[in-house]
Amino acid sequence: MTTENLVLEIKDLKASVNNINILKGLNLKIYNGEIHAIMGPNGSGKSTFSKVVAGHPAYKIVSGNIFFLGTDISELEPEERAHRGIFLAFQYPVEIPGVTNDEFLMLAYNSKLIAQNKPEIDMLKMYKILADKLKIIDMSENFLTRNVNEGFSGGEKKRNEILQMLLL
Amino acid sequence: MIHIGPNTSSKIVSKGICSGKSKNTYRGYVGINAKAMGSRNYSQCDSLLIGNLCNSNTFPFISVQNSTTKIEHEATTSKVSEEQIFYCLQRGISTEKAISLIISGFCDEVYMNLPLEFSFEADYLLTLKIEGSVG
Repeated sequence: MTTENLVLEIKDLKASVNNINILKGLNLKIYNGEIHAIMGPNGSGKSTFSKVVAGHPAYKIVSGNIFFLGTDISELEPEERAHRGIFLAFQYPVEIPGVTNDEFLMLAYNSKLIAQNKPEIDMLKMYKILADKLKIIDMSENFLTRNVNEGFSGGEKKRNEILQMLLL
Repeated sequence: MIHIGPNTSSKIVSKGICSGKSKNTYRGYVGINAKAMGSRNYSQCDSLLIGNLCNSNTFPFISVQNSTTKIEHEATTSKVSEEQIFYCLQRGISTEKAISLIISGFCDEVYMNLPLEFSFEADYLLTLKIEGSVG
């Protein structure tokens, strides 16, 4: 394994929430094409770890660094990390009442385009892209006009996460 | 809202958004006269709180003088939670855009009933008002 293939590198990561230390010196290297599953008993810090990588404001990094594709992202804002390609599939996807799925996806997609200095796209083009993605996960189009995760079943919420992952 | 004639119906929708240290109070009077038999009223008060220092109250006043009237009152309070913001952030949407998205969603029911140009304007003004008010 060469360093060029290194996607994510965690160096001696210590993190806390509400002044309680959860992560006590974690080291991890993930290379291109690898799939890692992190297992452990309840409360051992698996979710904490994923939130720290995504940059949740309630979780403070005490020491250590997170490198993503060669750059240190431990000080970046969560949205900047997202623009670089970090995606966290939520354990409990949040409901946003009154906001339709297509509005949300459009805003997220365009935010990413702006971050990459590309021109924004309009709703018509967006629908074309979305139609393809919807086929992949076998969901109907009326999914888009429903409010974000509101009244979704557990499985639908997860599918919605996958849809967002495909898109972003 | 005062009902005078029989079989009349009315609907009140109030939406309040509080940020910073603001307080929001809804006081609404619904009066049903003795002759307004079979009248209906539906009131709905929703509040959206941004931050921990604001509060919202609802005081509905209802006076009914006959026995065949139906009155409904509903109130909800919701808060823009840290998790909602983080969810948007994680999808690459900035905090300010996330909040205006949530606010537009909250007001959607009202916007739908406004003329197109006006609702566009209202949405824009709300976004301006909220800008910079969230720490």
